[in-house]
Amino acid sequence: MALLTKAETPPPPPRRRRLVYRLRVLRHDPTAALGLILVILLAYLVVAPLIAVLSDAFRLQYGDDVHAGQQPGEWTGYYLWRVFRSQISGLLFWEPLLNTLVIAVGTTLFALFLGGGMAWLVTRTNVPGRKWLAGALVVPYMLPSWTFSLAWLSLFKNERAAGQVGFLQAQGIRTPDWLAYGAVPIIITLGLHYYPFVLLLVGNALRRIDAQLEDSARILGAPQRTVIRRIVVPLMLPALSSAVLLVVGRVLGTFGTPYVLGLPADYRVLSTGLFQSIRDRSTGVASVLATVIVIIGVLIVLVDTRMMREHRRFVTVGGKGAMDRLGDLRRWRWPAFALGVVVFVVSVLVPVLTLLVSTVTRTPLDLSTFTLDYWFAEKLPGAVGFPHGVFRGSELWEAAWNSLRIVGLASLICAVAGLLVGYVVVRGTAPRVAAFLRQVSFLPYLIPGIAFAAASLSLFAVARGPIPALYGTTFLLILVMAVTHLPYSSRSGIAAMMQLGREPEEAAQIAGASWWQRMRRIIFPIQKGALVTGIVLPFISGLKELSIVIMLTTTGTQLLTTLSIGLVDYGYTQLANAVVLMIALVSFTMTYLTQRLTKSSLASGLGG
Amino acid sequence: MPNITLSGIAKSYGGGDYAVKNLDLTVPDGAFMCLLGPSGCGKTTTLRMIAGLEQPTGGTIAVGDRVLDSVEQGLYVPPEKRGMGLVFQNYALWPHLSVRENVEFGLRMRKVPAPERRAKAELALQMVHVDAAMDRYPSQLSGGQQQRVALARMLAINPTVLLLDEPLSNLDARLRLEMRAELKRIHEESKATIVFVTHDQLEALTMATDVAVMNEGELQQLAPPMEMYARPANRFVAEFVGSPPMAIVEIGSTPTGLAGSLMRFVESRAGQDIAPAAVGIRPEALRLGSPPHSVWSEEATVEAVLPAGSSWTVRLRVLDTELYALSYTPVEAAAGEVLTCWTDQVHLFGADGMRIPAWDRTGVGA
Ligand SMILES: Nc1ncnc2c1ncn2[C@@H]1O[C@H](COP(=O)(O)OP(=O)(O)OP(=O)(O)O)[C@@H](O)[C@H]1O
Ligand SMILES: [Mg+2]
Repeated sequence: MALLTKAETPPPPPRRRRLVYRLRVLRHDPTAALGLILVILLAYLVVAPLIAVLSDAFRLQYGDDVHAGQQPGEWTGYYLWRVFRSQISGLLFWEPLLNTLVIAVGTTLFALFLGGGMAWLVTRTNVPGRKWLAGALVVPYMLPSWTFSLAWLSLFKNERAAGQVGFLQAQGIRTPDWLAYGAVPIIITLGLHYYPFVLLLVGNALRRIDAQLEDSARILGAPQRTVIRRIVVPLMLPALSSAVLLVVGRVLGTFGTPYVLGLPADYRVLSTGLFQSIRDRSTGVASVLATVIVIIGVLIVLVDTRMMREHRRFVTVGGKGAMDRLGDLRRWRWPAFALGVVVFVVSVLVPVLTLLVSTVTRTPLDLSTFTLDYWFAEKLPGAVGFPHGVFRGSELWEAAWNSLRIVGLASLICAVAGLLVGYVVVRGTAPRVAAFLRQVSFLPYLIPGIAFAAASLSLFAVARGPIPALYGTTFLLILVMAVTHLPYSSRSGIAAMMQLGREPEEAAQIAGASWWQRMRRIIFPIQKGALVTGIVLPFISGLKELSIVIMLTTTGTQLLTTLSIGLVDYGYTQLANAVVLMIALVSFTMTYLTQRLTKSSLASGLGG
Repeated sequence: MPNITLSGIAKSYGGGDYAVKNLDLTVPDGAFMCLLGPSGCGKTTTLRMIAGLEQPTGGTIAVGDRVLDSVEQGLYVPPEKRGMGLVFQNYALWPHLSVRENVEFGLRMRKVPAPERRAKAELALQMVHVDAAMDRYPSQLSGGQQQRVALARMLAINPTVLLLDEPLSNLDARLRLEMRAELKRIHEESKATIVFVTHDQLEALTMATDVAVMNEGELQQLAPPMEMYARPANRFVAEFVGSPPMAIVEIGSTPTGLAGSLMRFVESRAGQDIAPAAVGIRPEALRLGSPPHSVWSEEATVEAVLPAGSSWTVRLRVLDTELYALSYTPVEAAAGEVLTCWTDQVHLFGADGMRIPAWDRTGVGA
């Protein structure tokens, strides 16, 4: 019988010895090296651009030395002054800020009412065709956000901006400027794009509210209206506030719609202002604007997480089939259904059909001028920059190929990187590395894409050390795109790896498989599904992406989105519409198929 | 075949807590050792350290004279080079590979040619009776079948050290019995050294050549199963091993009631030199009926009789204390009846919780 006296906790071996041992272990475990590489890459691709843009905002740029009376490269408050206090600061900053606020508030209210109402309709009532409505009303979110603005122009454009006038004007009805351009149309078109977002968030929350909470209030004698006011609305607050903040964040960074509908009337918002500053090569001002957008974006998400945390304290998640019982609309059933259909028609059918018809008519939407020239003609009279139908010539195909190639590669990188981040986090050999990867890979989520693109420009526009200037290269485009989608892929990568756990890999290790063999034969094959969704979701949203690429593409590398915006610039309405329709078609089909095939819900890929 | 030595092994997952504290353990060459202990006592951690999946904070692990881990000397051999077999507590089958591919994987890594690989995989699967499900995927198997595939996967590579983490926990009683016999047979045939984690003490007692009882990261006792049962080294082992558990009677400074009665018996045997803090009585050592000469005996009131087929558990009230007696002959007493109970086997533990060896030498301990 071996009897051991109670063991004392042993004194740990001396530090140096432990370090030697630890290094020996790490040498056999590439996870550590991989983690280190990821840390360096993320620091370089995510953190460094932010530092660069911040430093550009406070350093005198070449060419400004005369005005500022300082040497280039010196620390300066010149740009701050210029943006916030100078004579042109109204034009540069305050006016765009105000406009941005107006649009953000307007769009949010619009989306909130439409999305909230529709969410209530499809989750809490017995409206006919509930299932169908729930799916159909999400479609606007699958279209590029500025699809709606192009459709709007096709209907309401007046002669103020170059190119074809819209349908009404062609009918001899002069559309006033406030209806054709500026805040009103921007709010409406953005609202139509973002209400599905609210619908999804609020719908999910409504579905989770425990019906018993309502019942008990009703039993205590509260009338229906009081129940909604005192019980349902407070319980919905987290979802509502989250929806509000996310829509505001999106609007802050959106570029296409304010560009198409705002600029003809000199209606500037922060994102288009930033774009123009960059186009005008006023790097310092652009850096200040980008910094401001970054700060607002970060604040929004921080407020959101803070509110979510506060609210979580009294969130009650429904037990069994909480929301099985539906409110009976009685005679309002069919009117309610009609309302839902109207919303669908206005937010999907009208814009898409308008675009479609506009591309087959010479005079907007006048079917007597039917023509297929804009699609197929060998030669379009009068057009200079793009003198043929979209399917002719090489432009569309080249842009499509570029989109496919660049977005595809970015998505692939993004998905693999996301999975590797998940792998390193779950293997957990170094908790601090894991924490860094978790947080930094999530950082781009806080930053509107357009500001992040501007930040990347700050870092990569000039050669720094051994890294050459990357501006205008597809390489930069791919990197930035991959990084901006990283939050989604790294989150799903972490989730997928968490679910898998470490054991399957360890079992392979015990069986004698080297690290490379484990990756190739175990980890990646098992995560095939996660990898595919990890590629497809960023791909779909990248295909529609405009605000990032508009900053980074040059004429050499057109993507579908920039091609369409370029055609708008030229005033080739029909051609621009045709290209946008192609994007919408591809992105809708892919989203639909992905949802069907992977049963993943759009809600989880709300990256768009 | 190798013996496994752990010396001064400690493991902390960070923070001040140690999952394993200063563990010295030698698994003799060809042993079938069971690691036994309550949940969370560090069994899995110990096993994973032997396999190389977890690194100790201090200490040395060696197989034969091959040092696998030594924090002090800075030596480390990665798991894939240790050539051990391990069955995980939750199987860890690869969901994307069929049963056959799962079992063949290790052989593939060893570059065994295809025909031989197939044959070996089939043999291993036959051994655990899942050869019929060869082409299915793990998700299409029951928990018990998965567990057996995990066993087959380990056996296929014919390792000389087998590590098993509760490999039979998910089987029904009959299969479990069969697999126990199968494991014992494998052990005898292969002469492999086996470390087997369980918290089922029956499993430990029936299968092991050596049992190591752990608690809170510390080794409590290492002994052959029957010896462990007969002479538990401390109160923890005494209470942990055996079912129903050993009754422990605390002896206060002035023992009264049952404690007093037992103390008089101890003193009558061993005089005043032995001062136990507690006295333990195993239920099956507590007999009913007329006592033989010079044993401890006392009147007992029957509170309940719980028959279980081949054995009878009787709850008794003896003076001020409740005791259980386990009998293998039928007990036909009604509740409330007063009987005599007696025993000549009691275990004595000192104030430090350790067994008092002097008592055993009187021949009254087990
Ligand atoms: N990865 C880990 N990180 C932190 N603590 C851990 C980790 N793994 C185990 N522990 C802790 O170490 C202690 C020992 O755990 P271990 O898994 O070895 O227990 P066990 O004896 O196998 O238990 P069971 O019988 O329930 O399987 C426990 O307190 C556990 O909480
Ligand atoms: Mg365990």
